[in-house]
Amino acid sequence: MDDESVPYLLGQGTTKTYQIPISHLDYKFIEKCRDVKHLEKILRVLRSGEEGCYPELTLCCEKRIEHLDPMSKALRKDKPAATASDFTAEEWEAINGELMSWLTEMNEGDKKPQFPRTDTLCERQDNLPPIRCSSSCLPANQNKKLQNKETNKKNIPRDYSEWDKFDVEKECYKIDEGCEENNSKARFNRPSLPVIEKKIDTTGMTKKDKIFIATREKEKGNEAFATGDYVEAVTYYARSISVIPTAAAYNNKAQAEIKLKDWDSALQDCEKVLDMEPGNIKEIVPVRGEAGTKKAVMGNAQRKFHSKGGGSKAEDRETQKQKESTESRLKKGTSEKKPQKKLSDHEGEVNGYLHSEQKSESPEAEKISESHGAGSQSADSGSSLPPIAAKLKSEGNELFKSGQFGEAVLKYSEAIEYVISLGEQSPADLSILYSNRAACYLKEGSCSDCIQDCNRALELQPFSLKPLLRRAMANESMERYRQAYVDYKTILQIDSSIQAANDSVNRITKTLIDQDGPSWREKLPPIPVVPVAAQLHRWDGGNFTSENRPRSTDINREEQLQMNREEAEEKFKTLKNEGNDFVKKGKYEEAVKKYSECMKLNTKECAIYTNRALCYLKLYKYEEAKQDCDHVLQIEDSNIKAFYRRALAYKGLQNYQASIDDFNRVLLIDPDVLEARKELEEVTQLLNLDSSAVAGSQQKQRKKITIQEVTESDEREERQFSTSEDIAADHVTSKEAVQGSVPPKTLEKLRFSEPDNAYDFGQIINAVNANKDKAACADLLTMIDPKQLPVLLSNKLEGEIFLIFIQSLEYYVVGKDPGLVYQHLFYLSKAERFKVVLALLSKNEKEHVQQLFDLLAEKRNHQYSSGDLKSLRKVYEL
Amino acid sequence: KIEKPKSIKCGTFGATSLQQRYLATGDFGGNLNIWNLEAPEIPVYSVKGHKEIINSIDGVGGLGIGEGAPEIVTGSRDGTVKVWDPRQKETPVANMEPVQGESKRDCWTVAFGNAYNQEERVVCAGYDNGDIKLFDLKTMSLRWETNIKNGVCSVEFDRKDVNMNKLVATSLEGKFHVFDMRTQHPTKGFASVSEKAQKSTIWQVRPLPQNRDIFMTSGGAGSLHLWKYEYPAQRSKKDSEGAEMGVAGSVSLLQNVTLSTQPISSLDWSPDKKGLCVCGAFDQTVRVLIVTKLNKV
Repeated sequence: MDDESVPYLLGQGTTKTYQIPISHLDYKFIEKCRDVKHLEKILRVLRSGEEGCYPELTLCCEKRIEHLDPMSKALRKDKPAATASDFTAEEWEAINGELMSWLTEMNEGDKKPQFPRTDTLCERQDNLPPIRCSSSCLPANQNKKLQNKETNKKNIPRDYSEWDKFDVEKECYKIDEGCEENNSKARFNRPSLPVIEKKIDTTGMTKKDKIFIATREKEKGNEAFATGDYVEAVTYYARSISVIPTAAAYNNKAQAEIKLKDWDSALQDCEKVLDMEPGNIKEIVPVRGEAGTKKAVMGNAQRKFHSKGGGSKAEDRETQKQKESTESRLKKGTSEKKPQKKLSDHEGEVNGYLHSEQKSESPEAEKISESHGAGSQSADSGSSLPPIAAKLKSEGNELFKSGQFGEAVLKYSEAIEYVISLGEQSPADLSILYSNRAACYLKEGSCSDCIQDCNRALELQPFSLKPLLRRAMANESMERYRQAYVDYKTILQIDSSIQAANDSVNRITKTLIDQDGPSWREKLPPIPVVPVAAQLHRWDGGNFTSENRPRSTDINREEQLQMNREEAEEKFKTLKNEGNDFVKKGKYEEAVKKYSECMKLNTKECAIYTNRALCYLKLYKYEEAKQDCDHVLQIEDSNIKAFYRRALAYKGLQNYQASIDDFNRVLLIDPDVLEARKELEEVTQLLNLDSSAVAGSQQKQRKKITIQEVTESDEREERQFSTSEDIAADHVTSKEAVQGSVPPKTLEKLRFSEPDNAYDFGQIINAVNANKDKAACADLLTMIDPKQLPVLLSNKLEGEIFLIFIQSLEYYVVGKDPGLVYQHLFYLSKAERFKVVLALLSKNEKEHVQQLFDLLAEKRNHQYSSGDLKSLRKVYEL
Repeated sequence: KIEKPKSIKCGTFGATSLQQRYLATGDFGGNLNIWNLEAPEIPVYSVKGHKEIINSIDGVGGLGIGEGAPEIVTGSRDGTVKVWDPRQKETPVANMEPVQGESKRDCWTVAFGNAYNQEERVVCAGYDNGDIKLFDLKTMSLRWETNIKNGVCSVEFDRKDVNMNKLVATSLEGKFHVFDMRTQHPTKGFASVSEKAQKSTIWQVRPLPQNRDIFMTSGGAGSLHLWKYEYPAQRSKKDSEGAEMGVAGSVSLLQNVTLSTQPISSLDWSPDKKGLCVCGAFDQTVRVLIVTKLNKV
């Protein structure tokens, strides 16, 4: 409708209720309008019919609103009750049938005589609590006075004449607009923690009543479970069971107990379910499926515990494990003697759990565990166990492998007794036996026994790896995270390459921080310092049993002198190469050890010292690095590497003047070393800053930065110099070579599955954010449904997260799927805290957003129009 | 069919055992009567409880709902809320009334809650001025109060016999509030979410007995709305002073239906058959409805 062609409409101008220009009641306007509130008003006008009845236009307006805001309240329509005609015949039959069967059931129940009446009533009366103290009188308006001051007209009920003038629409609108005030006054005595009786008194109840109550208690439990209040859920399931024990209630209770990590009770409940319904194969309760024998259940529950306690909350892994164990159970069903699949392919006697856990985490770890297993086996074979004990032990090992942990314990115990009765002093063997028994206990789930055995093993053989590892696991299972942490830390001191220990330390750290807050370290028991001998020993045993290399501890100098020179040289070379390899792998501590061994053989070789200095630099041990460089410079006063590294060490020690001197010397020898030039500039700047007396806190910050720069430049340097002694080596080739071999630790790809709740999502986001892993973030964003984004983010949206979203969308997603990016941006703007985050963005960060929008505009497709984009830009305040 | 001299306003079975099924009623004269429906001529219990009409009644401790003594609470136009024990004649076991000299507010609705063990029990009362008061019967004190600005037509706990979980309060002007009753902040009280259901008074709200997170409201325009409350990811958080504070969830409309042009004033669910409900409207009709597919929400 054109205003000019219909001049009389101009006189009317606007609609009566909302003062909307009449011209807005138009297809074209509605199609273009993006203001939902405005459209809602239009819809109300159209529906009211005050400007005439336009059913088509109304429909069009509804569609438009639905497109813009599917949850709009204006779309709620009054509907008549559904009748038979609204359903398909089948649906109606189902509904009807259900009702009829319920009716007959009820009628039958009514017909049944209910004889015990009066007597039961009396009984019931006895159980009732006394009548409440009758003199109680509560003044309801304790703070009425206060309130009266605040009362406005609204709080007084309207009289009838006022109601006549009442405009519902306007009042509703007022309510919408009016901000929520919370007038509640604090006046409460916080009740003590809820005490819910675990049993219900059922005296005098008929069976029907009992069923009714049991069902209701179970429903309460279900509701509590759904809310995540598992303690309450367990209580209500227990109540339901106390009235009438049903398999379903036990089942649910077990599930809640699993959530609470109360494994013993969960197992008991599962067994009860199996007792009640031996043929129950439904997969409602995971543990139940695993219940082949009691021991297997224990083992499984234990494993599950680890997988949970270890922070791997991913549901899919859990289900995977369930599947596996159901598989194994099925196998057991077919032939009892067939060992569990998982254990049979496991050769070493390192316990299956460790194996399986690592398997799921990374193949690398698996290798390590295997190598450990192999290592220990070779150690076993070399032991001087008396034949009987050896036989017992190997029997035990067999039993362990086939999953019969209980029997294995017996065998090991026999072996231990035998060895002790012999009185022979073979602590190593005894230690292994204890350690093996500990493994069985761990598998069986008796963690305290496991810890005891580990303690014994460690008394006999301090700092041996496996008992430590098992004790750590047992401690972790028992939620004694501090002890577990200490043990894992000790393990890492012995052999830092054990992936399982590394992972565990990380997750326990998280748990401890959650538990104790930032000062969690203070609450730790002291971590024992592992003597170097033990370190080396383990290390050799762990990784290099096959190599015929003398152990440093066994070798003394005299022996060495007796060795012929060539052999020593060869050894020197192998040690050095090993050291270099470690450097390439980024294992600087090991490398330092290797180099140190080299030095015992040959003190004149400068390269060893410079290499070790590099390692020390990497380990932030600047003082040691400096000493090594000093040593080199005493022998060789123009060693460029030594100068360069000493300069870096000085820089780390914040002795900037000395650092500058050394850099200058490097440049004197070779003016083409660009790194040195750069470093020199940086250090000069630092020196200036330092001298201009900056505030203490800033200094601290500065310090941090310098350290980062040292490592960075180190890498550069490392690429240039490599670890070969030859400085003149071709820069480009060595660069490439090292680049290839340096393990990209940080680039390790994050693996995750689609998060289905805000918690999981938050975890992933934290991980992504910690690594600034945009690729992973992009994967995550492509995985999830944009509509879910506000829900998943809940109130956790922060500037950092926002930025990484924007960047990953910009770098990875927009090229592939601009429609998805638009969707994400749209729903991101709906997330909580979005406005706050937006307001806090820096200029730089805003530019990123701008860029992303530009890209979106370039790649526009049918999924969004330029208008959509424009309005979204507005939302993003661009 | 029995006729009584005074009009009956409200009734409940809430305070009798499953076998007895005595009906407690409040009438326009302020009398509380308990009737044995098999011998309805004379009430089993009768007391002139209030000076004016008893607007609302609720019972707990019976029907296996809630632990502890059977008790009936009545709210009246005279501004008082009284708790009765059928074993004690004549006097209420608890009486909550405005202090002397204050204007008396019309109490429109009462509800029991928190009856999860023998001792704990609360009464929630809603007044015509929008006041909601929560009385703790264990400590005999006013535990919490708030004002929702409009007359409170109906208050209901999602379950009477669990540790207070949610409270729904509906108002005269078509809005209802859902309070998360688990976490009470010392100053802010309970977290709440509000939703506008319709343009007319919400007369009554009833949670589904089989699932406390689903509830139905009945409205002045003759419509019924079925809602679902969704919990937030975390139900409580710490505020800046370290005090626990509740976090409100969200409410979504599952279904709505218009049955009549007259207001639907009362509504209840069947405790036995999930989804079966009955409602009474001003057009003198009692309607029985079945809500299907409740398992899937």
